[in-house]
Amino acid sequence: MNYPIWQLDAFGGGLLIAIIAIVHVYVSHFAVGGGLFLVLTEMKGLREGSAEILAYTRKHTKFFLLLTMVFGGLTGVGIWFTIALLSPAATSSLIHIFVFGWAMEWVFFLAEIVSLLLYYYTFDRLDPKKHLILGWIYFISAWMSLFLINGIIDFMLTPGDWLTDNNFWSGFFNPTFWPALFFRTFMALMIAGLFGFLTSVNIKKNVLRHNMVRYCGMWLLAPLILLLGSALWYKAALPTAQQEMIFLVAPEMKPFLSLFIWLSPLIFAGGLGMAVLRPQNVQRPLAWLLLLLGFVQLGCFEFIREGGRRPYIIHDYMYSTSIFKADMAETQKSGLLASARWIKNRTITPENRMDAGKELLTLLCLPCHSLGGPLNNIIPIARQYSPAGMRSYLATMGNASPYMPPFAGNRAELEILADYLTTQLVPGTGDSPVRITQEILAPAAFNEETVETLILAGTDMGMVLSSEPEYSGIDFSFAPPTLRAQIIERGEAPAILGKEIQVSYRIETDKEALTGTMTATGSTFEAALPKMPAVSKDFRPYVMAEISASKNGKIIAATKLKIGISTTLGCRNCHGGPWRQEGNTGLSRETAANILTAHDKRSKTTLSSAFANGSIITCRDCHADSSRDAKGLPERLNLSAAMHGFHAAFIDHKDPNTNSCDFCHGGNPHGATGKLEDLHGSLGLECANCHGTLADHAISLLKEEQQARIPAGGKLLGLIANKGSLPVNAIKGRSPWVMEPDCLSCHKDFQPPETDTAFNSWTKDRQGLFAHRHSMDGVLLCTSCHGAPHSLYPTDNPHSKQAGNLQPLQYQKNPYPIGADRGCAVCHTVEMEDEVHHPGSLGTFRNRVE
Amino acid sequence: MNPASLIPSPDPLQVPWGWFQILLSITFLLHLLVMNIMLGWSIIACTNHVFKLSRAGENRLISKKLPFTIAFTINFGVAPLLFLQVLYGHFMYTSSVLMAGFWLSIVLLLIFTYYGAYIYNLQFASLSSLHAPLTTFIAALFLVIAFFFTNNTSLMVTPETWPRYFDHPDGLLLNFGDPTLIPRYLHSVLASVAIGGLALGLYYDWKKRGGDAAAATRIPSAMNWFSYATILNFGIGTWYFSGLPPSIRTVTGTASAFTLFFLIAGIGAAILSVIYGLQHRVRRASVAVLGAIICMVAVRELVRRQTLAPWFSTSDLQVVPQYSPLLLFLLVFVAGLALIWYMIKLVLPANNPAKNSADPEVQS
Repeated sequence: MNYPIWQLDAFGGGLLIAIIAIVHVYVSHFAVGGGLFLVLTEMKGLREGSAEILAYTRKHTKFFLLLTMVFGGLTGVGIWFTIALLSPAATSSLIHIFVFGWAMEWVFFLAEIVSLLLYYYTFDRLDPKKHLILGWIYFISAWMSLFLINGIIDFMLTPGDWLTDNNFWSGFFNPTFWPALFFRTFMALMIAGLFGFLTSVNIKKNVLRHNMVRYCGMWLLAPLILLLGSALWYKAALPTAQQEMIFLVAPEMKPFLSLFIWLSPLIFAGGLGMAVLRPQNVQRPLAWLLLLLGFVQLGCFEFIREGGRRPYIIHDYMYSTSIFKADMAETQKSGLLASARWIKNRTITPENRMDAGKELLTLLCLPCHSLGGPLNNIIPIARQYSPAGMRSYLATMGNASPYMPPFAGNRAELEILADYLTTQLVPGTGDSPVRITQEILAPAAFNEETVETLILAGTDMGMVLSSEPEYSGIDFSFAPPTLRAQIIERGEAPAILGKEIQVSYRIETDKEALTGTMTATGSTFEAALPKMPAVSKDFRPYVMAEISASKNGKIIAATKLKIGISTTLGCRNCHGGPWRQEGNTGLSRETAANILTAHDKRSKTTLSSAFANGSIITCRDCHADSSRDAKGLPERLNLSAAMHGFHAAFIDHKDPNTNSCDFCHGGNPHGATGKLEDLHGSLGLECANCHGTLADHAISLLKEEQQARIPAGGKLLGLIANKGSLPVNAIKGRSPWVMEPDCLSCHKDFQPPETDTAFNSWTKDRQGLFAHRHSMDGVLLCTSCHGAPHSLYPTDNPHSKQAGNLQPLQYQKNPYPIGADRGCAVCHTVEMEDEVHHPGSLGTFRNRVE
Repeated sequence: MNPASLIPSPDPLQVPWGWFQILLSITFLLHLLVMNIMLGWSIIACTNHVFKLSRAGENRLISKKLPFTIAFTINFGVAPLLFLQVLYGHFMYTSSVLMAGFWLSIVLLLIFTYYGAYIYNLQFASLSSLHAPLTTFIAALFLVIAFFFTNNTSLMVTPETWPRYFDHPDGLLLNFGDPTLIPRYLHSVLASVAIGGLALGLYYDWKKRGGDAAAATRIPSAMNWFSYATILNFGIGTWYFSGLPPSIRTVTGTASAFTLFFLIAGIGAAILSVIYGLQHRVRRASVAVLGAIICMVAVRELVRRQTLAPWFSTSDLQVVPQYSPLLLFLLVFVAGLALIWYMIKLVLPANNPAKNSADPEVQS
């Protein structure tokens, strides 16, 4: 970072260069093609002995001179001035690498001026042969200017062997030099035809006008076909990285590509129309329209070419932030504030932290982004992110967002910039503080002396996420939990009751009470909830349910349980929009819209329009979801692999302030849902202990998809391959919801664990899941005594100490697993001596709570 | 803040810096001469029209030639700007960014003046009532452009003023703190008026020698522009010189000795040119003033080197040799000059006797 940055605010983001460059490029191509047009048109006049054509040529020359020499010449200087102001380091590189190329171009520029002035001022006053020689000299000089500039411009896109040998000629005759030269030459001839229309439609004599308009039409149409051929050659000559950037990676390129392609037949048809439609009052506006379409087409091409360089300004050599690729690693290590020259805040203090953030914005963002302008406006982008989201985005630039350069600074600078962008540049994107009023819940009544039957009930999932489709418009396809209950007739030899009794549930929500009966399946009563219960207006990450068992119409047992539901989906960390509820939880419709826009952009879908029409977008319609046996579409990643695999590339795995799982799931201790309530959470274990880090987790899912030959699996795997805690080939692929961490990986033989890492040892099938396993005697579900997955007893839910422990509290007056501390009497009414359920089941519970 | 920490690292050269210095000085001299004529003529035409001086022929002449001078001023400006950026780019890019708004506006202002000059030429007869405002517009914009150039050349050699950027990053810095800024600017403007007058004198002298008696009567007024502007410039030059740092004004080493030598030689040649000018001896005055300009171009380069000496010397620049591009450029340059000579010969009246007499635009 050598140079100061001109702070242009709204005029930044490439607006200046876009305006000057596209206008200049259009006129300068005219200056080349138009030169040949002049000579050949004069020759046509001479050949046909037509004084009128010669008079037209002379008039066109005057127009040509005033446009190309004055406006074209000065806007050319203007580009030089502009790039030197916006990217002085790159300009300096180009000037020094190609100084004698520029110098030669200057000589041809001089020859152009002299020949054009002489050509114009000696019209009709010089022998035609000599006059034509001047015209040819002009055209050849102008084309040589194109030849030279073309080499330098394409060097920026494809430097080729120059990167290794630093040789002038390697850089100049770079891999796209020749196709680009032909492309631009044909473009120049085509533009000559377009400008020819502009002057020829004003010819008063009908016959001559038709003649000249048709003649100009040939100038337009013949090169247009060749132009498309050379465009394909140009594309083929692009190295893979640039091709992918243009045609696959950068979604912003799509409209320019489409427009470029669609404009060709339009211009072709317009050219034919000019030849057919004879009325002057039709031809005139059509000529202007075609000129405009040609301008747009060339503009599209220039945007595409410039876009293909991203994230570099000189490909593979200098980033668009003017940082040399070779310096990036050192800058990341030592910090930008220490290494850049135009820095005021070299040392960070609490007082200057945000001022330093502004300097980082200036150095790293403003070279490409505007502040509130029409091009590359950074403000709406910054508004999409929370500080944590921005940290992640910055940290993954260059990889997950390959069109962005890697963040050129150290960790502290990354955090400062993220904070500046999300709290100063765009204030008010943070969460509302979470205020929790602890709810005190009483368990159902239980008198161990008199009660003969008890219910051990719970859900198959202790905590489910809900995208609240009725509000947000997106159904992330989290399945509603299944209620399960085992009804135990107490006694020294307890019995499991089945079909002889009836079991029903009642779930209270703000809107309605959900009720239903549960169906006996073997030793268990089950009820798959038809829909996700709505969380309460005064948000708590659960709803309460009551389950009662009755026999012959008489209630014989009842219990309460919580159904854990979190709406604290962290989508807005990166997709913007407000929270739906209380400023700190719930997926809002705005966030959903942003998600779908991003999906449409990257995956070429049209979900946004369906969403805007009121449809609820359901992910499992396309992405298979084995939690619900949804098949999805072929060749699409399953939902878990898509979600984790895609987002893992965007999450900063090294962020010390953020657990990457909490980033999206609701386990952030400071969030509305609060921390993982499960026993393991209280013991300090994190998601990664069982599931692996996000990268590990995502790799395991993607590997399975890659093996199933789903194309996106390998592609996404490539983005995160080096981010896992284990090499990719050491991570075992797995199917989501079926192959999950196995409790017995740590608790070998049901004993206290000797390790805290269960990752990479998966259950074989659905029956092996903790949620579906039974005690060794095959009678009790594990969850009946231990609680649901992610909600194991004793739970510690910040919203209620009792909510997750209601049954242990009901039956044992403590929060520990059912039967803990030799509490066999809960079911057996007496103490037992054999460890029938599993080894160690008669021990004293180790993890006590206060 | 230490300004040295703000100076960017330069890029390496392909050939030793002397090559670029020679190319810079030669092409700058060409640019300076044509630019002086362009600016000088615009001021003279403006003065003629505003003060309603009866010089219709002179005004018509200027109106026809002014677009050419602009075209060649720009073209001859490209080369020295290129070579300047090769040697001093890390200073100049920086100073350009500091005054970016003004610097970029030059392009727009030049487009206005260029088209203004063409309107002045092509609509000379039909817009006679607007000659005064039109030429005032052209001259005024040229003067603004000249000031921006002067400001940039001043800002680029004064890194000690660069920290002001931190309070004004909007690209609107001017360098009024430099005591040489105003006299340097006025010195250039007055020199332009002088050279503009001299160019008219040379044209009339050429016509006189071709037998145009009326042209001879116009020589005195043209040479008066030259002589009095140059006399005035001695005063401005003294003001400019007094603003330079003492280390440059006194002989403290080889560079300052050379500076003083070229300065004295330039002043001597200028005095001689004024003497000839007052005597209306056009060609002698031209030769003398060409010598003065060459000396002043050398002084200008030497002063820049000495001003930047605490920070940088061109001899510090790293060279990674590659001579083939230079060789090709020299070949193209020579071929280009030959081509231009060929084209001029192609249209010379002597080679086109039959059509020449009917060529009012070329002849006027």
